[in-house]
Amino acid sequence: MRVLIFGAGNLLLSDEGFGVHFIRHLQDRYLFPHEIELFDGGTLGIMVSHMLEDADIVYLVDVIEAKGAPGEIHRFEKNDFMLGTLPIKMSPHQIGIQEILALSEIRERCPERITLLGVIPSTYEAGVELSPTLAATLPVLSELLIEELNAAGHQIVRRAAADNID
Amino acid sequence: MARITLDPITRIEGHLRIDVEVNGGTVTNAWSSAQMWRGIETILQGRPPEDAWIYAQRFCGVCTTVHAIASIRSVEHALNVEVPLNAQYIRNIIMSQHSVQDHIVHFYHLCAMDWVDVVSALKADPKNTARLAQSISDWPGNSETEFTAVQQKLKALLQTGRLGIFSSGYWGHPAMKLSPEANLMAVAHYLKALDYQRMAAQSIAILGGKNPHIQNLCVGGVTTAINLENMATLNMEKIAALRTLMQGTREFVQKVYYPDMLAIASAYKEWFRYGKGVTSYLAVPELAEDTRNTVFALPGGIIAKGDLKIARIITNHQDPGLIGSITENVAHAWYEGSGSLHPWEGETKPQYTDFQDNGKYSWCKAPRLDGNPVQVGPLAQVLVAYAGGNPKVKKLVDDSCAKIGVPVADLHSTMGRLGARAIRAHLMADYSLEYLDKLVGNIAKGDRAYANPTEIPKGEYRGVGFHEAPRGTLSHWIVIKDRKIKNYQAVVPSTWNASPRDGKGAPGPYEAALVGNPVAKADQPLEVLRTIHSFDPCIACAVHTIDPEGKAIVTVKVL
Repeated sequence: MRVLIFGAGNLLLSDEGFGVHFIRHLQDRYLFPHEIELFDGGTLGIMVSHMLEDADIVYLVDVIEAKGAPGEIHRFEKNDFMLGTLPIKMSPHQIGIQEILALSEIRERCPERITLLGVIPSTYEAGVELSPTLAATLPVLSELLIEELNAAGHQIVRRAAADNID
Repeated sequence: MARITLDPITRIEGHLRIDVEVNGGTVTNAWSSAQMWRGIETILQGRPPEDAWIYAQRFCGVCTTVHAIASIRSVEHALNVEVPLNAQYIRNIIMSQHSVQDHIVHFYHLCAMDWVDVVSALKADPKNTARLAQSISDWPGNSETEFTAVQQKLKALLQTGRLGIFSSGYWGHPAMKLSPEANLMAVAHYLKALDYQRMAAQSIAILGGKNPHIQNLCVGGVTTAINLENMATLNMEKIAALRTLMQGTREFVQKVYYPDMLAIASAYKEWFRYGKGVTSYLAVPELAEDTRNTVFALPGGIIAKGDLKIARIITNHQDPGLIGSITENVAHAWYEGSGSLHPWEGETKPQYTDFQDNGKYSWCKAPRLDGNPVQVGPLAQVLVAYAGGNPKVKKLVDDSCAKIGVPVADLHSTMGRLGARAIRAHLMADYSLEYLDKLVGNIAKGDRAYANPTEIPKGEYRGVGFHEAPRGTLSHWIVIKDRKIKNYQAVVPSTWNASPRDGKGAPGPYEAALVGNPVAKADQPLEVLRTIHSFDPCIACAVHTIDPEGKAIVTVKVL
C-alpha cells in the first residue's frame, strides 16, 4: 500500500501555501516509513497527476473556499469528488482534481482511496509565511493525520529533534 | 445584444475573467481581466539575489522552471557572468523538455476538448478509427484493440454517472465538427498523453534533481556535477536513461501530437480566419550555444503588423533596443496612476476599483513594446524564426501549411496559434536530444566545468533575464543594491497576451483576438474558449483554491 501525502498550494501567497507548509512541517518533525511519500506538489495539477496514479491511498492537503471559520478542517472522500456531491465547478475544459481523478479512473490507475483535507484560509496576501491561525492549524492537522496513519498500521515516529523546533 | 461573462476561465493557472459583447452572433467588444493581484514580486525585495530563483519558481503553478531560468539569468546579466557550455546545454535540455511537457498537456488536456466531442466518440467504429489513425501516422499505439478498449471504458464511466471530465463539456455543440472516429482517436491519445508528459517530467528531474521545482541552478551555471564514471553525479547511466525518456516523448510528439494537430486544423479550417487580433509579435532568442548568451539556436525578433518581410531579428539577450523599449502601463489596471514605467523602475502599488468597462478592470498591467501591444507565444517564436530563415522552422511551417492547405499568412489566427505550438513541440523534442549529444561531446573533449562560482559584489547593478518560455517571452528585471534585491519585476507571457487596454485605448491580444469571433449559443460560448485557450492562458499567480460551494462559470446578460 503506497500512501501519498500531497501538499498543494502557492508558497508566495501566505495561506494559499498551506499544503506546502504542511509537507515541510511533517518532514521536519517525523520519520516516515518507506511506503509513505511526502510530496510538495505546488500548484501543478495535471502535470503531477502521475504522482496520484502511483499511489493506492492519497491524502490531498489544500485550502478550500467554504463557509466557516479560518483554520477549520473539512474532510472529503473519493466519492465526494467522483459523484459530484462536492460541487466543485471547474471552468469548462480546465483540469481540476475531479477531472484528474476521472481521467485516472478511465486509465484504471485511480488511487483506491483519496481524502481531501481542506482547511479554510484567512488570507491570500503576498508573503511566504502562514497567518497565525493557519500556522496553529499545522500541528492540529498533523497530529490527526499521524494518528490515523499509525492506527492503520504504519509506523511513523516523531524525530528527537522535533521538540527543539516547536 | 448580450453580454457574456466567463469567470473563471482558467482554474489551475489562476483566475482570468473574460467579458464579451455579442451582436448578431458575433463578438463586438471584449475585456480580459486578471482577477488576482500579482504582488508576489514584492516578496523578493531585500532578499539575496542568488536566492531569487528559488522564490521566483513559485510565481506560477505551471511554469516553475521557466521562472527559475529567467531569474538566474537576470542576476548573471546584471553581473556579467559567463555560463559554462555544459551548464548551457543542461539548461537547454531542461527548457526544451519543459516545453515538450507543457505543450503536450496544453494540447490534449487544456484545449483539445474545445474541438473534440467525447460523447460523439461513443458512436465511432473502432476499426475505422484505427484505419484513420494509421493513415496519418505509423505510431504503434493506433490499433483497433486500443480504440475498442478506450471506447468501452468511456461507456462504462458514463454508465456509472461519474461524469467527471465530461460534465463540463459542450457536447453536441453546433461548432463541433469532427467525425466520431476522429473524436475517438483524439480521446484515446488524450488518455495516453499523460504517460508522455510524465516522461518529460522525469527527464527534468534527472537533471534538475527534483520536479516540479528544480534545484540545480546557481548564479554562473548549474550545480549538476559531471563525472561520467561517478554514480553520484551526472554519469553515463543517467545520460542513457535521459536519452530513452526523451526518445519516447519525441516519438509521441512527432507521431501523435503533431499529426493530431494537423488533422484537427484540417477539419476546422475556418478557424484560420478567426482570432487574428494583434499581429505585432515579440520573441527572444533561445537555446544558448555560447557562454555569454550571444549565440542562440533559435532567433528572436519583432514583427510589426504581421509583415514578416520587415521583421527585426534579435540575435542576443543584450539587445539594447529590446531592453529599452519595454514598459508597463496601468491606465486600465488596478494600480495607482495611469502612466507607463520601465520594469527596472516598475512599481506594484494596488488600487482596486470595481470592474469598470471604460476605467480600471484588471490586476494585469499592460506591457507594451515601443508603446504598442504585441502578441507573444509559440506563434511569435515560429514566425520570427521563419522570417529569420531558420531552416528547421521553415521546413516544419511549410510542411504543415501544405498538408493543411493554408498559406503562411493564415497563421495569424486561433488555429495558427495551436499549430505553431505543435511545431514548437516538434522542434523542442529534437533539440532536447541534440543538446544531450552536444553535452556528451563536450564532456568527451575534457570540459568538466559546470559553473563559474560568483560572489555578489557591493554596489548597484541592473539586469534582465530573458527566456522564450512555452507561453512566450518571459523577462525578469532585477535591481541589486549592496548584495540585496532593491527591485524585482517579472513581465510574464500571459501579461503580454492577457493585457487590458493601455493609456491609448489599444486592446491587448486576447481582447483584440475575440472581436469578430462567432458565438452560436450565448450560454455555451465555446468559440470564445477556443480563441482564449489558443493562447494557453496562465495567470501567473496560480491561485487554485478548491471551492466546494461552486459558482456559475458562464453568466449571460441580455443588454
